Amino acid sequence: MSLHCENIVKTYSGKDVLQDVTLDLQPGKIYGLIGRNGAGKTTLLSILSAQNPAGKGTVTLDGEPVWEHRKSLAKICFSRELNANAESGLAAMKAKEYLRIASTYYEDWDKALEERLVKLFDLNVKKKFGKMNKGLLSMVTIIVALCSKAPYTFLDEPVAGLDVVARERFYKLLLEEYSNSGRTFVVSTHIIEEAADVLEEVIILHEGKTLINADTQAFVDSAVHVSGKIEEVDAATAGLEVHHPETVGRSKGVTVFLRPGQRVDESRDVSVQPVSLQRAFVALCGEEEAK
Amino acid sequence: MKRNLRFWSRYTWESAGATLTCAAVLAVISLFGAEGLDFGTFAMVVPYYLVLSSIFMMLMINTGCQTLYVPLLLSMGETRRNVLLGFHYYRALIIAVTMAACAVIWLLVPGEVSAIGLRSIPTILCVLLIAAAVGSVMGTLFVKWRWLSMVIIILICGGAGGVVGFAGEAVASGKMSLAKTVDIVSHLMELPWWLLAAAPVSLGLDILFQWLLLRRQEVKL
Repeated sequence: MSLHCENIVKTYSGKDVLQDVTLDLQPGKIYGLIGRNGAGKTTLLSILSAQNPAGKGTVTLDGEPVWEHRKSLAKICFSRELNANAESGLAAMKAKEYLRIASTYYEDWDKALEERLVKLFDLNVKKKFGKMNKGLLSMVTIIVALCSKAPYTFLDEPVAGLDVVARERFYKLLLEEYSNSGRTFVVSTHIIEEAADVLEEVIILHEGKTLINADTQAFVDSAVHVSGKIEEVDAATAGLEVHHPETVGRSKGVTVFLRPGQRVDESRDVSVQPVSLQRAFVALCGEEEAK
Repeated sequence: MKRNLRFWSRYTWESAGATLTCAAVLAVISLFGAEGLDFGTFAMVVPYYLVLSSIFMMLMINTGCQTLYVPLLLSMGETRRNVLLGFHYYRALIIAVTMAACAVIWLLVPGEVSAIGLRSIPTILCVLLIAAAVGSVMGTLFVKWRWLSMVIIILICGGAGGVVGFAGEAVASGKMSLAKTVDIVSHLMELPWWLLAAAPVSLGLDILFQWLLLRRQEVKL
């Protein structure tokens, strides 16, 4: 079973938000979908779950189309970020009603888990969305995502507005659910450093294109930070894929992405350090600021 | 489809509560100044309040339904086809329940107004279908051109307020006698050809508009 999308294109007001995105989401993995604001993360998740139509391209689950296919849709849950300020009228809805509708529509809804999570997050379900802060709204989306038991579950900024304790709790719950059920999760987040440890695969979207779709550890291992005197760094990294150069006086630091078989010339007077996922992401997608 | 029916049936039940409340308010207003009005006569008139409140609720609830519940159900993995079918099932149920309640009351309380009421059912059905279609088109307008829909809603609310005020004043000043009521409702016995034609046309246009909107609708919550 795999969720596959091919050559997805989405255009808004003449601007290509997604350009030929092709992905294959394998079962039983936690994917991290990262990208800058406006990179197309929410649009991609919306198209994968048939909540938005694609301009071009196809999305299939086990070879069956997802669009207007009830059997495929039943296996996907995209727990959207809730916006109580939107004009949809969501502000007047109580969390209790939202959870009730979710429990009606998701076939394998886990009522016991819902009760446990409501208690754990100390969520007042009788409260209207309009009276909830960002953190409480995030808790509701987390509850829907985890309780839906959908084999493919997407979470859009699930930790937005949550304090550090709640964020830790969320990652713990995610791992617990993942190890118990073997479901596939796609988590879109800006708080990369915290999520890095739980993400098996990383998908980096940049300006509507898939920049990276790889094993997280392999991706992080392929990047190193090289620093030293300008001429030494340039010599040590000659012929390599260099990103995000930063120069201070006569010193220079660069992030290098190594392909299999490539190495930094460490015979030069340079310091070579491993980088974090966040650092590697910034090196890839933060070029404009660096320039 | 089962869960879809479950959701829309429950939604109908909740809407029915609001419709009954609205009808009760109208009925209470009509009681002011209606001294000497016997229960039988009052009961025969109540179905008309029910029809009026159903029309009002369909105009108002359909708008909220299309801006909130339709995207909400799409976000929970329902197909667009099922959302459309569910929405029309809900509306058919509201109309059927209203018509059934009116018919039962008129059958249980025989009299001149009841006889007229029973003969007016086809006209009332056409009016309800048209109101449902207008409500749905307003929902579509609300999704696409919010300002235009807001203007229409304000006009409808103003019109409804005017009708209630006018009726209230007529009742309070004793102008709304039984003979006058019979005279007004007897107009409903005739089913003009244009009304008969307008009902299926508006229903068809409504389904077409809704489908055109739904098939490319993007979920925003």
